[in-house]
Amino acid sequence: MKVDKKLAAFEMFSLTMILIALKLTDTTPSLFAQKAQNAFWYIPLLAFIVILPSLLILLYLLKHYQAKHLINLLEILLGNKLGKAIGFIFLLLNITFISLDSRNYVEQIRNLYFLNSSTLIIFVLFTIICIFGAIRGIEVIGYTAKIFFPFIFISFFLLAFLIYEELVWDRIFPIFGSGLPLIVEESLLKGSIYSDFILLTMGYSAFRKSHDFNTGGLVGLLFAIGVITFFFLIYAVVFDYNSIEKISFPFHEITQYVNLGDFFTNIETFFMVFWLLATFIRFILLLYLLTWLFGAIFNIKHFELLILPMGYLVMVVGLVPDNSVVNELIYRNQLLNLMTPIIMGFPLVLLLIHLFKRKKVEN
Amino acid sequence: MQNRRKKAKGNEFGVENKLSSDLVANIDLLKHCFSYGKNNDFSMRVFQAKYNQKDVLLCYYASLVNSDKIEQTIIRPLLEQSGSSLYHVIIPESVKVTSNLNEIQDHMTSGKAIMLMEDDPIAYSIDVSNFEHRGISQSENESVVRGPKEAFTESLRVNISLVRKRVRNHNLMTEVKKVGDRSTQDVQLLYIDNLVNDKLLEEVKEKLDAIKVGNVQNLELLEQYIEDRPYSIFPSIYYTERPDNAAIYLERGHIILLMESSAACLIVPITFWSFIHNPEDRYMRVIFGNFTRGVRFLALFLTTMISAIYVALANFHSQMIPPDLLLAITVTRERVPFPLILEVLIMEVAFELIREAGIRIPNPLGPTIGIVGALILGQAAVEANIISPIIVIVSALSGLTSFAISDPSFNYTVRITRFIFILSAGFFGMYSLVMAFTIWFMYAVSLKSFGIPYFAPLAPIYLSNQDTYFRKAMRKEKWRPGYLLPKDLQSARKDK
Amino acid sequence: MKLLWLVLLSFFIMGCEDMIELEKQSYVIAVGIDETEQEGIFLFTFQIANPEVGSIASSVGSEQEASETVTIRGTDIMTATTTANAFVTKQIALDQTRVIIASESLARSDQFIRIIQSAGRTPQIRRSVQLIISQEDAATFIKNNQPTLEQRPHKYYQYMLTRAKETGIIPDADLHRFFQITEGDADLFLAMYATTNTDPKIDRGSEDNFYAGQIPKSGGNPTQFMGSAVFKEGIMIDRLTGEETRIANILDKTMEMSELLTTYPDPLAPKYRVAADYIQSQEPIIDIQYDAERNHATINVLVQFEIEILAIPSLVNYSQSEADKATLEKSIEDYNEAITKELIKKTQESYRAQPFYWSLYARKHFKDIPAFEQADWNKNIYPNADIHVSYQLKKMQFGNLLDDTNLNEVRD
Repeated sequence: MKVDKKLAAFEMFSLTMILIALKLTDTTPSLFAQKAQNAFWYIPLLAFIVILPSLLILLYLLKHYQAKHLINLLEILLGNKLGKAIGFIFLLLNITFISLDSRNYVEQIRNLYFLNSSTLIIFVLFTIICIFGAIRGIEVIGYTAKIFFPFIFISFFLLAFLIYEELVWDRIFPIFGSGLPLIVEESLLKGSIYSDFILLTMGYSAFRKSHDFNTGGLVGLLFAIGVITFFFLIYAVVFDYNSIEKISFPFHEITQYVNLGDFFTNIETFFMVFWLLATFIRFILLLYLLTWLFGAIFNIKHFELLILPMGYLVMVVGLVPDNSVVNELIYRNQLLNLMTPIIMGFPLVLLLIHLFKRKKVEN
Repeated sequence: MQNRRKKAKGNEFGVENKLSSDLVANIDLLKHCFSYGKNNDFSMRVFQAKYNQKDVLLCYYASLVNSDKIEQTIIRPLLEQSGSSLYHVIIPESVKVTSNLNEIQDHMTSGKAIMLMEDDPIAYSIDVSNFEHRGISQSENESVVRGPKEAFTESLRVNISLVRKRVRNHNLMTEVKKVGDRSTQDVQLLYIDNLVNDKLLEEVKEKLDAIKVGNVQNLELLEQYIEDRPYSIFPSIYYTERPDNAAIYLERGHIILLMESSAACLIVPITFWSFIHNPEDRYMRVIFGNFTRGVRFLALFLTTMISAIYVALANFHSQMIPPDLLLAITVTRERVPFPLILEVLIMEVAFELIREAGIRIPNPLGPTIGIVGALILGQAAVEANIISPIIVIVSALSGLTSFAISDPSFNYTVRITRFIFILSAGFFGMYSLVMAFTIWFMYAVSLKSFGIPYFAPLAPIYLSNQDTYFRKAMRKEKWRPGYLLPKDLQSARKDK
Repeated sequence: MKLLWLVLLSFFIMGCEDMIELEKQSYVIAVGIDETEQEGIFLFTFQIANPEVGSIASSVGSEQEASETVTIRGTDIMTATTTANAFVTKQIALDQTRVIIASESLARSDQFIRIIQSAGRTPQIRRSVQLIISQEDAATFIKNNQPTLEQRPHKYYQYMLTRAKETGIIPDADLHRFFQITEGDADLFLAMYATTNTDPKIDRGSEDNFYAGQIPKSGGNPTQFMGSAVFKEGIMIDRLTGEETRIANILDKTMEMSELLTTYPDPLAPKYRVAADYIQSQEPIIDIQYDAERNHATINVLVQFEIEILAIPSLVNYSQSEADKATLEKSIEDYNEAITKELIKKTQESYRAQPFYWSLYARKHFKDIPAFEQADWNKNIYPNADIHVSYQLKKMQFGNLLDDTNLNEVRD
């Protein structure tokens, strides 16, 4: 019997939330705080406003051309070769980015919970779970995200609730942090933290209707921005500007700090469970999309077979930088800055071509 | 396929598999076919019918038929009464006519009496079967406090009557499919004709046709022939012994499979939720029912996770344990010779042993083994410093809560899962435990039962009553599950 | 398939790197830090909980000590735990550490900030660990601290500190706050002050106007938690009495202090004092008027509080007479204002910084951080600010008793 097993809006919402909002747990906040000091909390908001038009254009074009996925759209608009070439650049950028990102998460796991173990073994395990999960396919990833999402959300909410009494709201002042020009510059440069969403458009055809993708995605993005901003605000008022710069993982710092009454004083492992669930889903999804991107560029139909080598590649690239988190901060910072103009620019180019094509047809 | 089978049988005896008009030849044929003389059970009797003064042969398996009925309804009328035709003379409710030897064999083995008449190339197959079976008793494995107590028994006819009693609908079909080459058994497909999805029905029938074995004795074996993934740790077919449960699923558009000599039914297709839900959730008021659901989800979590979490926390994340408890555990651990994970495994295995022994042990000894196993063994092991007392609590908790998962198949899933999780927690603490859980869970989510995703209607979403974690009030239940693609989606009355 | 098993097996072996059995760890409850004659080398004292004590399972445990205390030299806490393994049988785990105790002499040196920084960066030591400054050496403090009722050390610290914080005589001083304030560099940090040396002083007026160790008492544990150590830029500069600490807690909105029992001078019978329950239900209202031109601030402080009178030993009938009641109210307000003003004067003149976390209010007047740091709240604004303090008694209750027994009638 053929039941419609494709994904619906809530799956898209959960996937977007997990993909984007999880950034609040890694080094992103301290990255922002380096420049913006205590005003870093509203940078995600500003960066989103900067990147929003590009995302909307992309969604519009995908719907208009009934494209199967991003590469398909590029091929329709730019022709086969050019489309694939741009797709390839996009692929390379994403491989680097996801590798560094996964390394970042592996370091988090190691530094916080398994100090005596080597990064390699944790990374290997991490890659194995990503491969195992990704092989199950986009639908299963979507369902799992949907089922896990409420639990993950509740755990984050609980954390916010527990830290509440430690919040000193006056710490958001002075409101412009390190100065307005710096903040605006930083917001303009950091739009690329939402670049994962563009990768998500690879899964466009896995959804029942394009409406599901668009609503789920946009609502998910808005919620994710809300959650990120809220948590960044919490970091800002818990740690104050001088300390936040020095903390690489404020999320974990908070989970280590909160108590549940006098009896349960160290409850970070509880939050770690839900954080791990979200992390696994995120990287399983990213690995799947990355392989799909690869498959689409090189016209490989059964790209699921490539998940294993792709996972291995991501791991190898991720192992390249040496240990320190600071190095990572620099790499990521530069990569983010580099990616923003590309992500902002290329939907605009696509729009221009689209308009040009339409005119040509009209003439 | 059917043809090939018949052909094979015909060749086996090396004779024409049609009856002739010669009674003596026919008798020889039957004698040969049923090994008369060697096969003690096979009875045969020749006498003269009064109404047309012809010789009549009556043969049957003595163990399968009701001999009183034969005497009252066949032999006596034939010997004593006169009438224009056979149908005016004999009394039984069901008489079939056939001339094919294979059919005669089938009928004989399913408890019918075969009657041959002189100068007639046909056989009358008269239903006088009397299979022995147990009476209807209480459901033992799925007992409820509120709700009907009767369970299926090992008689197909009784079982169908139990279902029909609950589904008073002329659209309830009881279709027969034959399985097995050598010993052919009937599988009854029960479904409501104007609800069930035709493709689904087709798929189930195809699955049944595809079984290529000599003998499928009962439902429990049938389940293993028609499931998609025999090596999966999750069941994909629901096995229940409660007719009320079967009726509920019928009304939703599922298909029920029944077989002679099985005191249960199979329900297809099925989702994860059916294994967690219990019919009693619906028999109780919505709040009470949902409360038990909550308890059951807690039990599911505890039974799969508590031992694994204990291993992970104690071996890798001791900071999570509050200091008083930590010191209490430490002091008892100091005298125990085994690593903690081994300690947990010892107790879990011991629990499984006691459980298995408890099922197999002769009834009068049952309570004794419980006391010996649980009390004496646990107490003595603690006093001998082989295990620490907290392990007794942990494994007792995980063992006891597993009984809250009432479905026998899913119960095994849960118990196997527990061991997987304990071992994985021993690798890398919470990290590997969450990893194992994610893989386990994603595997479950990817499963399908006859094409239906395992976690429908939660993920992916379908129009339904949203009866997943918790159920809604009865009045708000308006839909049949959309994932079954029933012919009629709305279950509530439509005039609103 | 066989390969898969091999891989699984190898995980089993490798996974054990971080695996440690519970009984192979020793749980440190308190860490003491002292300075040595050598710079950069410290003396670490670990108070290790003995799991045998207080557990029903052990019959032999009753004669054992509740904790073992070891002292060792080292450069930082983590390496010291390894060195300690020369004579401590098990791996030392710091996850359950409740307090860090530093000696006053260490706290007054510039070494303190270094060692605390390194402690704060180890993930094993939580940000919620409380900071205690002991008058004597930390090693001596831990050795002398012998509670009789709460034998298990973590319980002792938990109960002791929770209760003392509730009454406001010691500040809430976890590592998190220490780092916030020290790194923020705009306020003073108050750490708990405690000692096991007793040096009783009788004539101090009220019941909390003591430094630790000065409380006259007999019996019980010699340890006293009272008052606070004042830190400026990570170095201890002074100590505050319990009363001053309480005032600082009242003026600081980030401190939780709900109520405490205290006594006030009886305005009508100066020989006696009135016992009262001071209830702080609202945060103090602190209004900073900042003049950017002159870089000068005017600070208006308004503290609203409630009082429940518990005992009037002088037997003056305050509850019946409106006029007397007003006098008492006025006298309590004045008394509080007076001691507050005295403390503020002390901070402005001798510390030239404040421990009330008032920089929070000042920040609102600046657009961005460079401007705020330029104005330099700590050095320029606060010491020269005009500060007006006023207390407002919102409600005065007289408890359950309507009237005290008339002594004269009793004596008849």
